[in-house]
This record gives sequence, C-alpha cells and structure tokens, in this order.
Amino acid sequence: MSGFLSNLGLLRRMNWVMLAAIIGLIVTGVFFIYSATVMRDDSTADLYRKQILWALAGLVCYVATTLMDYRRLRDVAWGGYIMALILLVAVLFFGTRIYGAKRWLMFLGVGVQPSEIAKLAVILVGACLLSPAAEKFGRLPPMWTIFLLAGIPMLLVMKEPDLGSALVFLPVVTAMLFAAGSPIRPLVTLLAGGVLVVMLVLAAVALPERLGMTPEHQGAFFRTIKLSDYQRERIEVFLQPGKDPMGSGWNKRQSEIAVGSGGLTGKGFLKGTQNILGFLPRTVAPTDFIFSVISEETGFVGSGSVVLLYGVVMVCGLYAAMVACDKMGRVLCVGIVTMIFTHAFVNMAMTIGILPVVGIPLPLVSYGGTFMVITLFALGLIQSVYVRRP
Amino acid sequence: MLKKDNMPEAIHFELRRIRLVLAIMLGFLALLGGMLFDLQVRRSHEFEESLHRQSMRRIRLPAPRGMILDRHNIRLADNQPCYCLAFYLEEIRKPGKWKHTVAEVQQRIEALAPLIGRKPAITEDEIWTHIRRRLPLPLVAWRSLDQAALARLAEASVDMSGVDIYVEPNRAYPRNELAAHLLGYVGKADFTDDEMAGYQYYLPEMEGKMGLERKYNSLMSGEAGGRLIRIDASGYKHAEQMDKEPRAGANLVLALDSRIQELAEAAIRDVPGAVVVLDPGNGDVLALASSPTFNPNQFVPIVPKVLWDEFNRDPARPMLNKAVAEVYAPGSIFKPITALAALNSGLVSPGMSVNCPGYYMIGTKPMKCWNPNGHGHVDLRRGIEQSCNVYFATLGVKCGNDAISDMSVQFGLGSKTGLDIDREAPGLVPTAVWKKKTWHDDWRVGDTCNFSIGQGALSVTPLQMAVVAATLANGGTVYHPRLVLGMQDWKGNVLTNYPIVQVRQVSVPAAAMRAVREGMYDVVMAQTGTGGRARIPGVEMAGKTGTAEYGEKEDRKKHGWMILFAPYNKPRYAVAMVVDDAVSGGLTVGPRLRGLMMGIFGASDVEKEAGG
Repeated sequence: MSGFLSNLGLLRRMNWVMLAAIIGLIVTGVFFIYSATVMRDDSTADLYRKQILWALAGLVCYVATTLMDYRRLRDVAWGGYIMALILLVAVLFFGTRIYGAKRWLMFLGVGVQPSEIAKLAVILVGACLLSPAAEKFGRLPPMWTIFLLAGIPMLLVMKEPDLGSALVFLPVVTAMLFAAGSPIRPLVTLLAGGVLVVMLVLAAVALPERLGMTPEHQGAFFRTIKLSDYQRERIEVFLQPGKDPMGSGWNKRQSEIAVGSGGLTGKGFLKGTQNILGFLPRTVAPTDFIFSVISEETGFVGSGSVVLLYGVVMVCGLYAAMVACDKMGRVLCVGIVTMIFTHAFVNMAMTIGILPVVGIPLPLVSYGGTFMVITLFALGLIQSVYVRRP
Repeated sequence: MLKKDNMPEAIHFELRRIRLVLAIMLGFLALLGGMLFDLQVRRSHEFEESLHRQSMRRIRLPAPRGMILDRHNIRLADNQPCYCLAFYLEEIRKPGKWKHTVAEVQQRIEALAPLIGRKPAITEDEIWTHIRRRLPLPLVAWRSLDQAALARLAEASVDMSGVDIYVEPNRAYPRNELAAHLLGYVGKADFTDDEMAGYQYYLPEMEGKMGLERKYNSLMSGEAGGRLIRIDASGYKHAEQMDKEPRAGANLVLALDSRIQELAEAAIRDVPGAVVVLDPGNGDVLALASSPTFNPNQFVPIVPKVLWDEFNRDPARPMLNKAVAEVYAPGSIFKPITALAALNSGLVSPGMSVNCPGYYMIGTKPMKCWNPNGHGHVDLRRGIEQSCNVYFATLGVKCGNDAISDMSVQFGLGSKTGLDIDREAPGLVPTAVWKKKTWHDDWRVGDTCNFSIGQGALSVTPLQMAVVAATLANGGTVYHPRLVLGMQDWKGNVLTNYPIVQVRQVSVPAAAMRAVREGMYDVVMAQTGTGGRARIPGVEMAGKTGTAEYGEKEDRKKHGWMILFAPYNKPRYAVAMVVDDAVSGGLTVGPRLRGLMMGIFGASDVEKEAGG
C-alpha cells in the first residue's frame, strides 16, 4: 500500500503540457461529435455523451498506466501479442460485419477492434525485443524477426479487410527500428521496398483500364492480385477524384468542400452547412470525418489548432523518449508516438483529399470507445516512461 | 543514474535518431498545416461556391396578378384563395429507399380521400416525378378544396403531420360570364428558358390566354420574385429565405360599366349576336357583349377538353367576340352615312323629294324597296324614317360611290378601330379599285345602289357601327373606342390614365348632320318609324334599323340591326346591336334595345328625363 502511495507521488512528475494537449483534443472531439450528430434523431444523437464516458474511463486508465511501471510489461508483452493474434483470427470468424468488412468483435455489447489491440501489442513486443534486458547480449535481434512479428497481425488485419489499419504497422515498426539504432542501409532498402509495393498496387489498380483491358479481364486480374473491389474503388477515387461524384468519391469531395468552405474562422459551432445538411455523410461524420466537421465550423483557426495540439503531443512524447531511463522506454515511446502520429496524419490528410479515404479514425477526437481507451492507455505508457526518467 | 558524460555513445546515437524522427513528424504536420491554409484560406471561395451550388435552390414566386375592374371599381377578374392539401415530404420521409416514402404518401392520400370527398388526384408516377424534380417543394395532393372538406379536415383525427393546407392564388371571375369576351381567361404559363434562367423550381403561374388578360398580361402579372431554399443532402428542404419579393401586378381599370354590360348581355342572351354601348362624349366602351358567351371560370386553371371541343363544334361560336371579330353587312343602318355623303356633295338637299314606286330601275333591272307598295314621295327625313331603299339608291347614284366610301372611311369603317382586343376585324368599304382588284370587274351602278343601302361587299363590325352611332350622336366627332381607362397599383393608386383620343372630325355641314339626326329621331320617335319598338317613355332617342340578308339566298336568313343614341339632345349612350336570324331590325332588335335602354336609364332616370 505504501508503495502505491509513493507511486502517487510520481504523478507530480507528469508531463502536464502533454496531458493538457490530450484533454484539449478530447474536449474538441466531444463538442464536434455533438455537432455531427445534432441533426440525427435516432439513437446516435447521444453519441457525445457516450464519448464523454469513454473518455473518462480512458483517463482513469491513463492515470493507472502512468503509475504502473512500464518495465513490468516485459513479462506480459508476449502474452498480449499471442492474445491479439487470437482475437485477430477470431474476428475473421465471429466478427460483426459493418459496411462489408469484419473488423469488430462484440464483447458484452461493446465493440472492440482487435486491430487496435494488435498495434499496441506489436509495439510492446517490439520494444521488448529491441531492448535486450541484459546488456550482455548487446546486439539487436535480426531486423526480419521484428518485421515478421509485425507482418503476421498486419496480414490478418488486411484480411478483414482493413488496408488502412494494416498499413499503420509499417511506419510504426520502421520508426522503432530506426530509433533502436538499426543499421540504416537495410532499413532504407526495406522502406524503399515498401514504397515500391504501394506504387505497384496503385499501378495495378490504375493501369489495366488505361491499357485497355476488358472489364472481365480486369476483374480476373484483380481477383488474382487479391485486391477487393472496395479497396480498388477507394484507390481509384483517390487517383481520379472526378470519376464518381455520387459514389465513393462523394465523401472525399464533400469533405474537401466542408474543409475549404470553412475559411479562416469557420461558420460557427453547429453552423457547418456541409455537416448539418448531411452532405458529409452522417454515418462517418462523427468518426472518420470528424476533422471535416471541425474544419468547417471553426475554419483554419480551429483545424490549425488541432494540428498544433498533435504537434504538442508528438514533441512531448518524443521528449519522453529522449529522457527515458532505458532503451525499452525510448523505443516504446517512439512506437506509440509514431502510431498516434500515423493515425492523425493519415486521417487529416484524407479529410483534405491528399490521401485516399482509408477509414482510419482521428485519435482522441473521433467517436470510438475502445480506440479512445487504447489510445489513452498507450499515452499513459509514455507518461509512465516520463515520470520514471532519471 | 547515468550522468551525461559517462553515457554510452550508443545512447547519443539513438537520441539523434529520435530527434530526426520528431523532425520528420513535425515536418509532416507542418505540411498538413500548409495544405489546410491553402484549402481554407487561399482557395476558400472555390469551395464556398460549390457548397452554394449544391445546397441552394431558387424558386420562382409568381407575383399577385392585378385585378380587372370596371369604371366603378367593381371587380371583374380577381384572385381568390384556392385551398390545396399538400404534403411536406421532409416531414414524412421514411428511412431507407424512396419507395417507402412514396408508399407512405400514397397511404396518407388514401386515408384522406374520404374526408376530402374526392378520389386521389395524383398518381404514383406523379409522386415519383415530384420527388425527382421538385423535392423541396410541397407536394400538392388536391386543389381547390371546398369549405365542407376543410371543415371535415379540421375535425378529423387522422395523422396530419407533414400535411398542410396550402393556399394558392387562383384567378376568378366573380361575375362569371360578364364581359367574358373582353376579359378573356388565364391558363398555366409556359415559361421560356429566359424567364426560368437562375431558377431551379417554379410555382404554378398564370398567364393571359385571351382578351385583356392576354393583351395586358405583362402589366398585370407584375414581377416574379424568388425564394432561396437550402436543401439537405437528400434533397429535402432544410431552410428558406426570401431572395427577391415579387412585385404585384397592376390593376386594369376598364371603361366598362358592369351594370350596363349586364343589361347588354341580357338583351341578347337568347340569340346569337352582339351589342356595343359607347359614350358618345369620349368613346368609352360602356358595354361590349357577344352572344353566346362562356364562363371563364370553367377555363381556369386549364380548359377542359370536353368543353373546348363542344365550344369549337357549336355553330354559334361562343368563343368568338362577334362585336369586334365578326363582320356583317350593315344594311339600312348604313343609310345615314349615304345621306351625309350625298348632302356633303352639295348635289342633294334635305328637302329634295324622290318618288318611290316600290322599286328602283337599275338600267333595265328593278331593285326592290322593302315596301313593295312604295313610299310615294319621300324627302330625307321621311326617307330615313321609312328607310326607303329607292330614296337612298337615288342619293347614291347622284353623289357617286366614291363620296359614300369617303364618308364611310371618315366614320371609321373599313379599318380597325384599334380597340384593345385581339383579332379585331377591319371590315370592308368597297371601291372601284377594290372591285377591279378582287373581282376583275368594273364598278357598276348596281354596286352603287347596293352600297347606298348598306348591302353588297360592304362589311362592318358591331363595334364600328357603335362608333358610327356615337359619331352621329355627338355631331361628327369620331372617338377612339376606349376600353381601358388606366392602370392602378394594388393599393388603388393611379399609375397611368389612358387619354381620350379624338380620331377625326367628320367633315359635313352642320345642317346636313342636323337633318340626318332628325330623320333618325323620327325612326324611333315618330308613330310610323321603323324603330318605334325601341321607344321608352320619357327619353328622346334617335336610331336607325337595318336588316341584311346573309348566307344562302334560299335560306332567307337575315341579320337584324339597330343603332341608337340617347338622349337625343345630349346623348350619353350610343348603341349598336346585331342579332342573327332576325325577322327585321325594327321587329327583332327594336324591343331588345328597348329593354336595354329601359335598364340603362332606370325607372328613376326615365322619370327624371320625363320631368325635365
């Protein structure tokens, strides 16, 4: 008990600026989830209240994690990893299908996305592997083991299918390896390889039509390379925004109009016409497209502030990495910050149309219960590292 | 605790890399910020435009149409509220596919039908069309609900959410048939692309299809306004704001006196014919009627096809304004003009006596007088009173046909009077040149004789003859028949007044005019006058009867004519009436004019005139 009380003293060493930025993002999220659902008269109208409850639960988790010594996770990291793999397999069989993809597992009425758990599990296992407990080993494990560890859940997530979430693994693992001091050349080679793969996929989507293949041949081709219709569609829309104004391109176009018409100071809270009139599809406005709502109603002042808040979180997170008392702390912080950065960047970039619409939520802001808790748990780990700085 | 100086080199290396990672991330975030600035500040207007385009719609709002009033501001054409039952689809939309909403609307219509007491007026297809083309507007299910239906709706306990009673202005003609040929009617407007430019939707709007409604359409229809509605992503109305207020159209004030118009219509209600009453002092058209007539209310908002076909088949042609668009041979009512032409020529004096044996010899061929026994010796006054053909043939031959046609033209025959009504017929005043051109034949004495007694190729409209009557009444001034006195705005303030227009002064010696008027006085007032049946107690009147054959000769069909002005000394009314299939002008038209004049002067007026 006295140990716990002495731990409480650690809270005074917390990075308050980071906490303030986090709370700022959460509060923004709650307000604009309200705005995005205010026109709905069904059960989703009280989404913002649920978000408040989830945020409170997440913040409790955050404090608890801060108090917990992250080094003790070494013992459970592998168990967590195996658990995440089991959930990822389970979701393929028992998952709830929403919009054509099985991404959710229902536990007692609460939906959980195993892919979110898997990301954290990979970061934990990676942090453990990249920081050998005994300095005597001294050497890092081979790079391929880390990529293999990330690759298995990544493929399972792709299978759901959830291309966007799967791709998040890549920058996370790369950043962790980089920070852990892996030799630069193989890493760059791998990175270049990854970029090449993405280019190939894009080319595969765009080329057959340009080369004049018949629709049947195109279909057969895409079945061979295992690219689902909806993935192809989204990539195509990204490549040719004007192609399908009322289909998949709709969200992207409307989101751009929402952000663009926000202007410098925005149209005012609850006055975003794109949002209120439902041009931003109401199903995704509080989740993946919450940033459009914020941008429309608060303008560049608001959207820029959100970007700034993420900047603050990145700086504080990586500062924690730099002052960490051991290598595990360093690598752990880099992994978590990279995960949150990747989510935030990809989400905001797709909102303004510079990346394809991949369905990645905006951390701390988008509506989503388990993702909120997991994000706060991960950020709590950063504080856990920070408060134990030398 | 590790001190900085004894930190292993590896850690410095790792910290450098972490700083690099941070720099990359901040670089990306800065890029994002830059993109946001570009989108939201530099290119914002582009997106505002597309936002406006996709969510704003403009509806054309018709302005209230101006009324048509008679000279005493009695409403002849008016706008009356038409109660429509409309559905607001944004309130009764059903989730999911459109067909659910359509089914719901149909169900609601079925449920309301017994209350309205009418069958559903719109089909499923029409609901679909509405959804596709006019979604943000209310869907009108029934038009022109009656009071009983409104009362039943108010008391009913059916689900009325999303249902509204919607008021639409409807053109109404409160006096029904009154002046139908002059007023015309309105119908659904056909918009030109130009008028619709900038509007996505329009409300039903009326435009004049006939008569004054058509002629003065642009002045009466005012200026359409616009309303902006903001629609949501499904196309339903979200909010609306006024864009431009419609500007009400002007009221048209007619010279018509609805009381006299009513009397005029009553006078010929049972026979095909026409009657025109002018004010000889200024040319005001106090009444202008054509029979048979129609009720313009039956034509609004659309002309029922059955009715239209029926009107087109009717040989009496109810849609034709016989007072201005039909031409007739004037017969004997033309004789005053012949008389004036002869007197004006100086070759004839009023006292000149002509012997009428009952016929007039044109070369070797006799032309009969209507009285086979002959009128004996007649002078001008008696010739007019008795309408002696021989007398007028003699006058005609004496002064020549050119003098008669010149006098006819001076009275306004042979050309349109310029009344504000479409399809006015000019009639025809024959000349030698005209005959040569049309019939490739020379003008003969027989033509002159026929011309003198108002027969032959001469043709006139009842309105022209009313102008003749008015000119004789006022002593020789031809006035432009003024149908519209002016325009006023919707509050009743005068906008424009149309002036009295004197077309010309007929050039005849005063003595000649006096002599002709005296003859016309006798026509009505003398015991033996042919127009005696028009006489009313207490009012001195003057006139001329006429009978003109038409159609196949064997049918022996005759138009009965009479022109009249009264009171004789200070004429206030000049009338021309024609009736199809008459026995004669004096017998058929006389009594009808008597009825009309009795009505016009009224019991009190008659006494007053009698007293004075």
